[in-house]
Amino acid sequence: MEHTLHTLKSTVSDLTQEISATSLLATSEVEEFRIRFLGQKRGVITHLFKVIPTLPKEDRREAGQLLNSLRSVAQSKLDSANLAGNQLTDHSSQIDLTLPGRQNQWRGSLHPITLALTKITNIFYRMGFTIAEGPEIEDDWHNFTALNFPDDHPARDMQDTLFIDEGNPDQSRIMMRTHTSPVQIRMMVAGDPPFRLIAPGRVYRNETITYKSYCLFHQVEGLVIDEGVTMADLKTTIYSFAHAFFGKNVKLRYRPSFFPFTEPSAELDIWWELPDHPDGGRWMEVLGSGMVHPNVLKAVGIDPERYTGYAFGMGVERPAMLHYDIKDIRTLYENDIRFLSQF
Amino acid sequence: MKISYNWLSDYVEHGLASADIVDALTMLGLEIEQSQELILSLDGVIVAEVKSVRTHPNADRLQLCDVDLGDGNARQIVCGAPNVAANQRVAVATIGTQLTVNGELLKIRKGTKIRGEISMGMICAENELGLSENHDGIMVLTGQSTIGEPLIEYLSREHQIVNDTSFDLSITPNRPDATCHIGVARDLCSLLDAPLTLPKASPPSTKAAVAEKLNVSIECPEICRRYTAMIIEGVTVGPSPIWLKRRLYSVGIRSINNIVDVTNFVMFECGQPLHAFNYDRIHQQKIIVRKSSPQEAFITLDGKTHSLDDGTILICDGQEPIAIGGIMGGKNSEVDDSTKTIVIESAWFDPSSTRRSAKSLGILTEASYRFERGVDTQLQPWAAMRASSLIQELAGGSILNGIIDEHPTVDLPLSIDLRLSRIPKILGTEIPRERIIQIISSLGFDLDETSNGVITCIVPSYRPDILQEIDLIEEIARIHGFENIPLHSSTSLQLPVPLSRPDDQSREIAHSFLTGHGFREIYTNSLLPDEEASTFCHEVLGTDHPSVKTLNAISGSMSTLRPSLLPGMLKVMKHNVHHSQKILRFYEFGHLFHRSTKQATFIENYSEYDGLLIGISGQIQPHGWDTPPRTSDFFDLKGDVGQFLEALQLMSALRFEFHNQPSDITDYHITLFHKNTQVGTIAKLASSIQDSYDLPDPVFFAELNWTRLVVLYDQVPDQTYTPISLFPVVVRDLALSVDRSQPVGPMVATLYQVGKPLIKDVNVFDVYTGERVPSDQKSIAFSLRFGANRTLRDEEIDRVMEKILNVFSEQFGAILRI
Repeated sequence: MEHTLHTLKSTVSDLTQEISATSLLATSEVEEFRIRFLGQKRGVITHLFKVIPTLPKEDRREAGQLLNSLRSVAQSKLDSANLAGNQLTDHSSQIDLTLPGRQNQWRGSLHPITLALTKITNIFYRMGFTIAEGPEIEDDWHNFTALNFPDDHPARDMQDTLFIDEGNPDQSRIMMRTHTSPVQIRMMVAGDPPFRLIAPGRVYRNETITYKSYCLFHQVEGLVIDEGVTMADLKTTIYSFAHAFFGKNVKLRYRPSFFPFTEPSAELDIWWELPDHPDGGRWMEVLGSGMVHPNVLKAVGIDPERYTGYAFGMGVERPAMLHYDIKDIRTLYENDIRFLSQF
Repeated sequence: MKISYNWLSDYVEHGLASADIVDALTMLGLEIEQSQELILSLDGVIVAEVKSVRTHPNADRLQLCDVDLGDGNARQIVCGAPNVAANQRVAVATIGTQLTVNGELLKIRKGTKIRGEISMGMICAENELGLSENHDGIMVLTGQSTIGEPLIEYLSREHQIVNDTSFDLSITPNRPDATCHIGVARDLCSLLDAPLTLPKASPPSTKAAVAEKLNVSIECPEICRRYTAMIIEGVTVGPSPIWLKRRLYSVGIRSINNIVDVTNFVMFECGQPLHAFNYDRIHQQKIIVRKSSPQEAFITLDGKTHSLDDGTILICDGQEPIAIGGIMGGKNSEVDDSTKTIVIESAWFDPSSTRRSAKSLGILTEASYRFERGVDTQLQPWAAMRASSLIQELAGGSILNGIIDEHPTVDLPLSIDLRLSRIPKILGTEIPRERIIQIISSLGFDLDETSNGVITCIVPSYRPDILQEIDLIEEIARIHGFENIPLHSSTSLQLPVPLSRPDDQSREIAHSFLTGHGFREIYTNSLLPDEEASTFCHEVLGTDHPSVKTLNAISGSMSTLRPSLLPGMLKVMKHNVHHSQKILRFYEFGHLFHRSTKQATFIENYSEYDGLLIGISGQIQPHGWDTPPRTSDFFDLKGDVGQFLEALQLMSALRFEFHNQPSDITDYHITLFHKNTQVGTIAKLASSIQDSYDLPDPVFFAELNWTRLVVLYDQVPDQTYTPISLFPVVVRDLALSVDRSQPVGPMVATLYQVGKPLIKDVNVFDVYTGERVPSDQKSIAFSLRFGANRTLRDEEIDRVMEKILNVFSEQFGAILRI
């Protein structure tokens, strides 16, 4: 049949109606539809495209657009039928609703250390703490001296600290920070009281890797400096934290300890229930704390007579391992998908 | 450090059960890590007498004993101890007795035959009875005893031996005073307001007879501030009495002989380590304390030869070294069974010097444990005297009149002013003045209330940790009890409003975008093998500055700080491939490190910044019932990274640079720039590196400089809303045929350029090469969306299309396909 633009238009209109009226529920219908309209050899629309060169030049573009849009109508009808795919049956009531949903992508996951870190920092953020960060490569002054570590403190030995540069009389020793406390020093040097901050981050120890120790781990350390800050404020803060983190019924114990940068120093223990343990559980250290030592305040130019403050610090891995019942710290750094997909 | 419940009770009447002691000491800051009950379960063990001893017919090392168990009859018992002899009173475990030996149950059975001979019980050694660790021979009873009486009656009557509990204390480094029973008892006294009972030992006057027999000189007074010595003549070296063995047993110390045991006993009593020399082995009656010269060799008591570091404290006689000061004595001057005259050394050695030496020698002894914390500077004469009188009591002999006391450096006691008003300012609670005074004085401070509200405290010589007022406040808080510090029920609002971490918001977007797109977050080690670190110090990844090595690497595989997150992720991919995982999609945040003088960040010569690595390999998605498997490719990653940057609103601020040529670590890559600063790389990992990590499928990764992106993110202006156009959008498709090598990117850019301002969106929906286009051509199909704040007329769009076609034909040689 010879076509003009006019006849082409009416054919296209007829076909459009036919396409919309065709039922595509059965697989056989879908295939029939494809062959009828879009088949390479006998498809009606395919055939109509061949008409274009026979039309007058000025009509060709419009004809092309007309057919293109017809083809896309047919194609999208076919596509949506195909999307329903293999599960098509003769009656839609028989669609197999038990087939698994299509997984275009699986669910990703956050690492449990991120989960624990976020949980900890969020609690302190809600209590009004600013979140600060600092470098992992540190110098001796920020990591030790300003924090009142004596010159011959064992922590300064090669056994415990990973050194980068031994230093010389003109230059400080450089090391991997052994705690995030140097961030507090940086913040205090850079600003003026009051301070109310936590410093989360990665810290390093020169330790052999075993099931319970790794050469690096994560910490969150806190600092509050203001006029009139007391140990009662400290105890209130960390008790509130422990209740928020471990649950409001957790049993706590607050006992004296020692850290060079705090005086008095205290350790917070939680009672961890263990059904198989002869005592029904045991005390676990979760958080070190204390009143900031006057020597630390002096080192950063804060008057310890006017200002007092407290500091605290906790590991992230240990509570995460307790919480998720992870026995071997290396599991956290192995990143096996079978492990990661559980979070 | 171990202490014993019974021993502690010698110095303080505390009235506490052992479980209460655990709580009390822990809450005083002397944490008890473990406690172990030392129960004497001696049911069935009785006093017996050996009547005669015969050789065992079938065994050289065994003997047959006829033993009287109290009924006058002789019963045969097989015994292997070398020291068994007739007429000894011994401890016999009778038939049916159950003993616990080294944690294992041992039952004495009826009719047991040993090498064919019947044995009617067992003659016990001390370790079998849980009295000491001694198992060299059977226990011979030397006190008053009755044959047949239960052994427990004999032991409690003769030696006051009862059940005990051993506590394992974790002593913090600031508490050298608590490394002994008296020190721990002093804390309890302060807590309970009870008196401290000290054994009597009055040091004799100095420089009497003893000075004739021994000359002591200190050549290094800075590290040996005091050296005292006493001499005891005519001692009989032999086994210690059972009470002493039991005391040492309760703190985990092996009994050696009565002399050495006394020195250990006094150390655990008062904290002063002592050493006993065999006087007759000291050449020229001289003791010289000096520093070692480099590589000086020395043989310690345990028979091991050590090469000493420069500056180790050496105790020498007129000829050679006889001990390493504060750590261990020498073989050459050891007290043995034939020793007649002994020298008791009671000295003060410098803590840090002792610690360094002990560490470099790899010898940690009970003595070095105490010296490195700092022993009492005044206790030496008391401890020497206490030990001498105990030795005289147990080993006989006579104490030579006087004491040698070389004391070149005398420390004046420190005095500290304590302002009572300061205490509540630190602790947040009021403690009554009387309680404060009771606490401080019971801890051994001399007090003087000089003026209103100020107490001057003289620090006792055993508390070198107390240096300023705050240390006194800690002592008060500690004894008062941290549990008595009140909790606030409310607190005022703290201002200013806290700042979140600079990248908190952007990081949250990153986490939710990436996990939502099927990526799993990983944490990997920051320490890498050196060669691996150098491989990834590459300019393609942003910087080729050298990596940062550690001086004291934990191991070869952890010697250098990571310059890139890539090696960590490749190892994680390898691990998971080995465990049959098919879909590998990971990301990691972490610090990266370089040695750089120009780009140093916090610390001079070092550059450190936060990186974000996103990587994919293997299948793109799970193989479903209608989703055929497909291997991930570059455009999967490029698409994800592009959308990620869109999510952070950074896409428009960045410029892409395309590199088709391979580098050492990539087959091809795109470099991301902000102005002229590199902020990231999207790449295909070099196949050679992929192979070296044993990965079956190509790896695509994007490593971003997160620190720089966060700075950019903060500069993104706050967005305002653009009203949505009420007019319809016009869609036009455009299929063009161009040269096969023509990149699509510039064409898209040109479309936007030429189509301004009507063109709103360009989408590439098909790229085709094949039979329907010439072999040197490809077909590209664009879908264009036009819009404006009015209804667009077809002619307007036609004009734009016309213009586009002209430009395309000119710039790209593009031919419109029909």
